[in-house]
Amino acid sequence: MRPGLICVCLFFVAALMLPTASARAQSDSATFEALLIWGTNDTKTDSKLKPADPKLAEKLKKTPFKWDRYFEMHRENVKLKLNEEQTVKMSRNCVISVTNLKDDQIKFQLFGKGTLANTVTQALPRGQVLITGGDAENSTAWFVVLRRVE
Amino acid sequence: MNEEQQLKLQAFLDGELPEKDAREVASWLARDSDATQLHAELRNTRQALKGFEPQLKVPESREFYWSKIKREIERSTPAPVPERVSLFTSLRRFLLPLGAVAVLTLAGIVTLHQFGGSVVHPVQVNAILADAGAFTYRDEAQGVTVVWLSYPAEKKLADSPSRATLPAK
Amino acid sequence: MAELAYSSAEDAALVRAAQKGDTDAFEELVARHRDKIYARAFSMMRNEEEAIDLSQEAWVKGWQRLAQFQGDSSFATWITRIVINLCLDELRKQKRRRTESIEGMDEESGGVERQMPVVMTNPTERLERGELRQRIERALSQLSHEHRTVLVLHEFEEMEYKEIAKAMECSIGTVMSRLFYARRKLASLLADLKNENS
Repeated sequence: MRPGLICVCLFFVAALMLPTASARAQSDSATFEALLIWGTNDTKTDSKLKPADPKLAEKLKKTPFKWDRYFEMHRENVKLKLNEEQTVKMSRNCVISVTNLKDDQIKFQLFGKGTLANTVTQALPRGQVLITGGDAENSTAWFVVLRRVE
Repeated sequence: MNEEQQLKLQAFLDGELPEKDAREVASWLARDSDATQLHAELRNTRQALKGFEPQLKVPESREFYWSKIKREIERSTPAPVPERVSLFTSLRRFLLPLGAVAVLTLAGIVTLHQFGGSVVHPVQVNAILADAGAFTYRDEAQGVTVVWLSYPAEKKLADSPSRATLPAK
Repeated sequence: MAELAYSSAEDAALVRAAQKGDTDAFEELVARHRDKIYARAFSMMRNEEEAIDLSQEAWVKGWQRLAQFQGDSSFATWITRIVINLCLDELRKQKRRRTESIEGMDEESGGVERQMPVVMTNPTERLERGELRQRIERALSQLSHEHRTVLVLHEFEEMEYKEIAKAMECSIGTVMSRLFYARRKLASLLADLKNENS
């Protein structure tokens, strides 16, 4: 009985996938969320600072970084059609460029004070996170977090 | 002897001078006794330090020292994701011929999708880093790719909140 | 049996095993190199507790970054660089908390070292190795953090000026000035210590 039930479920899943896939094929645009995050271990910070999303903060804490506290400094949503590129200013000195490529791939570039610091091309499906970071003053750190939201 | 000359003398001792400058300093040393004396002092100090680094031992037992490291490693290691493994194991265990046909049908539909829609590829990171000291870190369990740039804080690629001027909304 | 195999294995083999998640192999690496890493941390921090904490933090970071170790340098050199960077971070934090004396800053940049008389005697002559080591230890402890750090990185880690400048986040000129001052100060301290005893 049990294997038979699994088979029935598999057919239903297959049936459900068809319209979803075709809808997705028709719309190649995607929305990305870019966040500028500040990391610190300082326990005395400005109370007006917005803590980073707890799930994101947990991901950051699980990476080999030494910071315990993360704050969201800036957020941008970027909607891109397939092969479209957009530049977004994240802070006074930091500009990012995001290109929406096929097969869930993206090209991400980070410019610091107008100079290209890095280029990353990788798959970034929903659920994956791309983080670029570096040292900031007073033993703190900055991060630009990119993820696909739609 | 001015400061620049003294530092040049030191750089000569340390082998940090280009060949032309090193030859000039060598010839200067041959005719200037003050320079020779200073060079000798710097050389003696360097020799005194060579091989005389303080020999210290960790003032804790091997086991105790390791126990704290191990605890921190375990605390910081991400937990494995069990759901995917158990689902795969369940499918494998309970798949009968009829179930196999269902999977083949599903596979056929997925293959059709490849021509019309997008497929999630395994994450392959291609990073071109202008910063030679940067590194890339990938955590499959968390679905996180980190690119860490080694520019010093003074380079101010992004601002800390105390002086941040964030883009206007 | 496994314990014996670990203790006789080369570092490269232990690293490979550790990269696959073998914590016992990593523990063997820790046991082999912990004194050197602790000594490096102590030479920079001059505080036992801080040196223990930072050396352990270096080992944890080393474990987390093992995948990035490609074997371009020896494992000992690689882990030493990690502890050096951690110590430099900590020193920077402490410097911000510490009040630097104006005299201290003048000493670093005001050219006091240019006026010190040249020390004519060679400290390696007429001193037993053990005694010289103790004197160097005492003299090093009398240097400021910045001067001691640049001396440690140049003399013990054999780093070039530009590498030290990058690690300490300062200019090559500053490295050269600090190294010059540190050497001259050390020479005069070693000579003074000799005079104290004789």
